[in-house]
Amino acid sequence: MVSVLLVAAVVGIALGVFLQKGRFCFVNAFRDFFAYKDSRVTKGVLAATLLTMVFWGIAYQFGYYQEFWTPEWGLTGFIGGFIFGIGMTYAGGCASGTLYRAGEGYLQFWLTLLFMGVGYVAFALAFPTLDSTYFETFTFGEGVSLFTVSEIPASVLALSIAIGGLLIYVTLVGRSATTADLSERSDTAQLNLTAFLAPVAGLRQFVRGTETYFRGLVGAWRDPLASSKQPWDPRTAALGITAAAVLWFTQASIVGVTGPEARWSGYLLSQVGVDVESYEYWGSVLFQGEGVDVTVDMVMIAFVIVGAFLAAAWSGDFSVRVPKRRRLPNAVFGGLLMGAGSRLAPGCNIGNIYSGIASLSVHSFIAALGIIAGVYVMTHWIYREVGCAL
Amino acid sequence: MPSIDDVTDTPDELSDDQAEDLLEDADLVQDMMGEVCPYPQVEAKKGLQQIDSGDLLVQETDHVPCTENVPRAVGDDADATVWRSGDATYRIYLRKR
Repeated sequence: MVSVLLVAAVVGIALGVFLQKGRFCFVNAFRDFFAYKDSRVTKGVLAATLLTMVFWGIAYQFGYYQEFWTPEWGLTGFIGGFIFGIGMTYAGGCASGTLYRAGEGYLQFWLTLLFMGVGYVAFALAFPTLDSTYFETFTFGEGVSLFTVSEIPASVLALSIAIGGLLIYVTLVGRSATTADLSERSDTAQLNLTAFLAPVAGLRQFVRGTETYFRGLVGAWRDPLASSKQPWDPRTAALGITAAAVLWFTQASIVGVTGPEARWSGYLLSQVGVDVESYEYWGSVLFQGEGVDVTVDMVMIAFVIVGAFLAAAWSGDFSVRVPKRRRLPNAVFGGLLMGAGSRLAPGCNIGNIYSGIASLSVHSFIAALGIIAGVYVMTHWIYREVGCAL
Repeated sequence: MPSIDDVTDTPDELSDDQAEDLLEDADLVQDMMGEVCPYPQVEAKKGLQQIDSGDLLVQETDHVPCTENVPRAVGDDADATVWRSGDATYRIYLRKR
């Protein structure tokens, strides 16, 4: 038990540090891509998810794993994900982003956390009704990970998907780089050739970019103290998060945020005398009949806040930040929608976009689409006066 | 020698003196303390619509990601530099093109 707690502390602190230093936020990743085509954090999120998928696939194939995230699949993922996506964009931070910003000293995000808690409690109270209406109506099949049903060895499957994803990415990059030439030339033979060359051009650009990145990383090591105080590339955060997630996957579980948070809400209520265990959602779903107590994943996410605090304090980014009064609705309603949405899905941006897709869980593909759709709609609303690029 | 700045894609940083001098010249100063993304981005875009070409917009913020997100959000509309106090407050200087 002590060793698992130690792993929880190490993983939590590492995640907090990398999230804070890379400003690794899923709202940022999608919102800024939709608003003005800024894809730096989007690339970090994609890299972290695909890399984690490869390593988890390998770990699964050789039996070094604890579990995948595979809830029953259906429209619940899309509806809950959509509500969660709206909420996280309005709040200004995703489930993991809220944690690391809480560690940086944002009172606004402590308030968001509080109202996410209210969302969890409201959901737990309404669960018996929701179970027979919402979940029964919108669930279509048993939860499944493609890793477990595929004939292809998990490591090969994961690698092929990652390589496929990379090829699509470099083709898109290559095409946007070659369209400039295209407009100047009009013969069709040239057009066909360019279609062929796009992946090659894109791949070359990708290799160059990666090389520059690693050279920069090596350069940064020459003065590690100064570099550690600078902001880090989201790709560095992606590498660090992947390492922490692989350790967590082999020792404890998938990385989740809102599940453990919902357990925290039940645990804290039990400490003030509420008979939490008698509620079906907490008793049999979240704590699985094993009694309301602090579990290792609850410890792990608490350490994310600690890690973010340490990283922020070290970089001179920590301060107690008081929100403007006009931002309080963002924390209150954003938090409520995140809490409720993450339970209706179930799963947040980490459970469904990061861990869920890395688990190749059918449920999470649908939920991720719902979350991204929610961010898209909300981004257009927030940017309504100045316009979005997409 | 490559540095971390080659890969983090952050705007150039101003020294304390430059930051003070430029602030005195600012045509529009937006107080974004306590605000988090994306509102500073939206306000920066709105602010740039109000000022003339060559004018300077300064945002004061305590939100770390803004120092990168705001310059990216305004894109080609302005040239951006930032000032970091080292104590969790930042200023973003946007010179309208």
